[in-house]
Amino acid sequence: MTVLRVGRSPEPFSATGTYFDGIAAAATQVAVTVDEDAQALVGLTDSGVRITWPLTDIREVPDQAGGDQMLLQLSNDPVQRILLNDHSLTPRLPNRSKRPKVTKRGPLIGWALAAITSVALIIFVLVPTMANQLARFIPPEGERALGEVTFNQIRSALDQTGLNPVPVCDNPEGMAALSKMEARLQAALPEEQILTVSVLDHEMINAFALPGNYIVFFRGLIEKAETPEEVAAVFAHEIGHVVSRDPTRHALRSAGSLGVLGLLFGDFAGGAAVLLLAERLIEAQYSQEAEADADVFAHAVMLDAQIAPSALATMFERFLALGGDASPIVSHFLSHPTLGDRIQAARDATPAGFDAVPLLTAQEWRALQNICD
Amino acid sequence: MVGTRKTLFWLALRTGVLTVLTLGFYRFWMRTRLRRWYWSAIRPGGHPLEYVGDPIEKLLGFLFAVVVLAFYIGIVNLILMFASFSLFQDNFAAYATSLVGVIPLWFYAQYRARRYVLARTRWRGLRFGLEPGAWGYAWRAMTHWAVTILSLGLLLPRMTFWLEKYKADRTFFGTARMAQGGTWTMLYPAMKPMFLALAVALAGGAAILSDNIAVGSGICIFSGFIGLYGLVYYRVDTLRRLTEAKTINGVGFTLSPNAFRVLMIYVLGSLLAAAAVFFPLVLLGILMLLIQSGDMLTDMGLEDMIAPIAGMGRYAIITASVMIYFTIFLLWSALTNVFITLPVIRHYFSSLTLSPASAANSIRQRPRDEFEEAEGFADALDVGASL
Repeated sequence: MTVLRVGRSPEPFSATGTYFDGIAAAATQVAVTVDEDAQALVGLTDSGVRITWPLTDIREVPDQAGGDQMLLQLSNDPVQRILLNDHSLTPRLPNRSKRPKVTKRGPLIGWALAAITSVALIIFVLVPTMANQLARFIPPEGERALGEVTFNQIRSALDQTGLNPVPVCDNPEGMAALSKMEARLQAALPEEQILTVSVLDHEMINAFALPGNYIVFFRGLIEKAETPEEVAAVFAHEIGHVVSRDPTRHALRSAGSLGVLGLLFGDFAGGAAVLLLAERLIEAQYSQEAEADADVFAHAVMLDAQIAPSALATMFERFLALGGDASPIVSHFLSHPTLGDRIQAARDATPAGFDAVPLLTAQEWRALQNICD
Repeated sequence: MVGTRKTLFWLALRTGVLTVLTLGFYRFWMRTRLRRWYWSAIRPGGHPLEYVGDPIEKLLGFLFAVVVLAFYIGIVNLILMFASFSLFQDNFAAYATSLVGVIPLWFYAQYRARRYVLARTRWRGLRFGLEPGAWGYAWRAMTHWAVTILSLGLLLPRMTFWLEKYKADRTFFGTARMAQGGTWTMLYPAMKPMFLALAVALAGGAAILSDNIAVGSGICIFSGFIGLYGLVYYRVDTLRRLTEAKTINGVGFTLSPNAFRVLMIYVLGSLLAAAAVFFPLVLLGILMLLIQSGDMLTDMGLEDMIAPIAGMGRYAIITASVMIYFTIFLLWSALTNVFITLPVIRHYFSSLTLSPASAANSIRQRPRDEFEEAEGFADALDVGASL
């Protein structure tokens, strides 16, 4: 097999190169030829070492600068190298650009899945569980500070230029109407809640609650509502979230999970954009039970306050009708498969012949709708 | 040192495009291929270096680091946020503690990344290596930084020397251990331009105090330029002094880089790269303005004014903007490779000599350092895993 026959026929290839045995640092000269019978690159080094490299086992080390030299390795040997001074051997090496067998590659898919599972467990199980526990122990003033910080972050984030936070509306007559609405709901609560109610000057059709008893409406929601009762229904729903401390749990959970996502995408141009998208998805909504509980709470409060709970159904239907050009957050809200159930539940909560007492005068309602002017 | 700018430019651009198209996951291959190219371009004593790192081990190392850091960031940040709001009604304490907690990790990751790169570098068929010692490096680095800051920078050479010595004394080529000789005070001459900048700045300050405001400000600005040169000079000259005091198996080194030349490569290289991205940058600016003003005009009911572009479609404009944005990013990264990284490396290595080079011949191979985590932490924390 490894007999070197000289002078059998004209040799198509012969060259001198440098041989590195991978044992010592010495660089030795080697004269190499192709043994056609054995289909191998054979050679004898200056130090007397005989080399036989089967042509099919030879790999070229890729991405070499200069282009003048060709660096060869054996598929199953991690350290030996032959350095040739030109590329004339290229046509004789059928597997030149295949990956050498010595490159150890573990069960990649297994590791990747394990990593994704661990990160998912951290984001979706561990962090939420801890957030739920910690939310019980945070003192009221700490909760309030958390809400204030989150409120300001949301105001800055909603402004496209990022320079001026979205303004808070404070038209006095509108505020008076809002207070009247709050007083009516407060009177019907099991126990009084100290609330901070604000309206943000933004066209989004939405409302949300924040830690520390903040309730925030967007101008868009108040403008699109057709009766004060619809606004009050959303108001009661958000009070439901406040009472069950959903916002605090949610804020603590975000604090834990947002930074984790930044890690995944590293330092690459699109990273920031992907991160933003991921944040949006995480920001999603509370769990369906939390929403359903807040609805049930709202029904009870509205009944006590002599407002028909069906106003909540009307508001949901209005969301649905506006769905065509709704903002992404509202669209997400609409995609909840249970929205139909929630509309039905609000209708069912309204007894037949319910005697509703009007909430605001026509003038007060106009003032509330123009609260941002 | 071999290799042309043209081949490097295309390699950097091609791998950059693939990185963008794969949402960043090709970066492990990009980094591997660029390193293979750079390493092979450097030929001490006529024989090229070889980089044998594998992209897959980098990806796995990154995943490992992400799991560990996800746990740290998720749980620790949550607890810190809770404690900070509960105790101080503020999130500043949480951010500060979280940041301070990451500092040792930075140094740890830097050392680990160096160990990985050395373990995957070969010359004349022999592996380089770095002994384990990342935590030891992390606490030393933090102590040295504290001392340097407390001494107002006067003990900077002490930090530079001892941190380099820590790494050099643990570096191997094959079986041979490197030794960092010399003393930390030998680095003081490297601070000369910085001291000069300080003296000039003081003179400028004195001139301002004695009511020569125009002259004083001029002198202060001038001292700023000297200071910039001083920073580059410090880096280049300490590298030279430290390299010349290193030995490995009786082999010594000489290096004669020129700080002014290095500074000029950075300045002119950045200018050239900036000139190349100038046109796409202006185009991007115009498109962004169009998107913004399109919104504004629509709000004011003046859509007619932008009707011609509106016909093109808002999404077409946004798509074009995104494409130009990535073009700028890719051009910039490819051009800084070509006009900064390559010339700087070329400048350093063109003056490197080994003597007596024959003393290296008796060095033997060292075993492979498996090091499965690769440079995952440095990559995830974004410290020193670029080249």
